[in-house]
Formats: sequence, C-alpha cells, structure tokens
Amino acid sequence: MTDCGCDKAKAELEEYLHRELSDADFIDITDHLATCEDCSKEHLIGLKLTEKVQQACQEKAPVGLRDQVLLKLRELSAAN
Amino acid sequence: MSTTDDGSTEPAPAKDNRALFEEQAIPFMDQLYAAGLRMTRNPADAADLVQETFVKAYAAFGQFQQGTNLKAWLYRILTNTFINSYRKKQREPYQGAIDDLEDWQLGGAESMTQGRSTRSAEAEAIDHLPDSAVKDALQAIPEDFRMAVYFADVEGFSYQEIADIMKTPVGTVMSRLHRGRRLLRDLLADYATERGIAVPVSTGATAPSRRTGK
Repeated sequence: MTDCGCDKAKAELEEYLHRELSDADFIDITDHLATCEDCSKEHLIGLKLTEKVQQACQEKAPVGLRDQVLLKLRELSAAN
Repeated sequence: MSTTDDGSTEPAPAKDNRALFEEQAIPFMDQLYAAGLRMTRNPADAADLVQETFVKAYAAFGQFQQGTNLKAWLYRILTNTFINSYRKKQREPYQGAIDDLEDWQLGGAESMTQGRSTRSAEAEAIDHLPDSAVKDALQAIPEDFRMAVYFADVEGFSYQEIADIMKTPVGTVMSRLHRGRRLLRDLLADYATERGIAVPVSTGATAPSRRTGK
C-alpha cells in the first residue's frame, strides 16, 4: 500500500469484523487500527452494531412449541 | 447406516434416529425461532415456520451427514421453508430486485465522511438504543439484507455458509451485508437523533453522498 492504509482498512473493516480476511490481511488491519484513531473509531461502530443486533435477537421460542414439535416427531415416527 | 469419524457404527432404527434428532437438532429451537421472527416478522408465523422446519428436517435427517454442520443444515431448511411457504404470502414489493438497486435508492447515507467526534458520538448513541429500536430497524430493512446481517452478526456464520443458506454467490452476501449494515446504522442514527440520544451531526440527508466501491 502506498497510502497510510486507511483506504484498505476502511474497505475491509466489515470482513475484518466477521473474521473473513486472510491471516496476512488480518494482521495488516490490526496493525493499522492500533495506530489510526479514525479507523479504529469506525471499527468500534461496527462492533457496536454487531453487539446490539446480537443483543436484540435473543428471543426464546414459546414454551409450548417444544412440546408441540416433540409430539409431532413422535407421531411421525409412529406412522413409519 | 454411516460410520462416524471415531469409527463407531451408528444405529439405524427409526426410534434411535428420533432420539438423536431430539438431542442434536431440538436445542437449536430458540435460535431458529429468533431467525423465524426476523423472516416472518410475527410470532405466530415464526412458531409455525419452526415447527414445519423441524418436521422437514426430521424427515430428511437420514440424509444429514453426521459430523457436518447441523446448524447450517437446519438454517438451510428454515430458509427454504420460509421462501416456499411464507414469502409468497407476504408483500415485499422490491424483493428479488433489491440487490440491483443503487444505494441512493435505498436511502442510505454514506457517513464515512463524518468527522471523528461525531463518530464516537455515533458509537455511543447506538450503544444506548433499546432492543426494540434495533428490532424495528431490522424489520424495516429489505429481507435479504436483514437475513444476511442476522446470519453473520447473530449466528456467526461464515460468508460461505451464508452463501449456501441463501443460495447466492459470496459476493452477493458481502454486498447484502454491507448494505444491510449501512441501512441499519443509518436507521439507528435517525432513531437516536429523534429520541435525543447523543446526536451525530451529519447522518441522514445532510451528509454529503459519496459512493464507496462495491
């Protein structure tokens, strides 16, 4: 890279976050984030977004659903 | 039946099959239900979808290769079942063509142009949002984007696994993820601004629109 590394970092932050980069690229971005405040702030927003989405999507199946499904499976095996 | 990796032979009879299915597949019920909620956007349909998914998965369980990724296999069945049984009932006007729309048509602003101070404010604002706001925002973005985000960020599937589940090339997965997360971020910033939670200055209409390479 001929620039400061920001272009590459910003283009790859999402893949970095999702652990989709090669080891070499992963190390490049990690190094860049350690020294670039701007990119590391951008990365922090990405992390925060992932964390919030994870947090919001923790619904439990309704209590009766498990029994209903198990019953259905029993019926199906009995029919075979 | 097949032989497992450690060399032991698996019992074939149907009732053992059921015990194995109950032991291995049923624990994914909560996760599948949460995914079903993202797909159908209502609890009754999500419960029906999950039940139908388990029935189909059970019927096909003999074809599942022990030792491969059961979770991904179940999600593939969930997704297929949703597409075949539910999506048709729902009105999603742009579905199918959504990947071809330009970013400006989706209403996303490019806030990479934001300054440093506003960006720390943005992370903080997102952090303070209630789960309900995040769920609303997820519901508001196009289904294919929403599910790509869900699969990557909640379930931690790899891009290749998501590509298999959604039956689409990895490049499309990346584009859906990028655009989905972008839209989500903008919606959450708008929500935070409306609620007076730490206000990033330049998201939304005032941000200079700059295209990034896709």
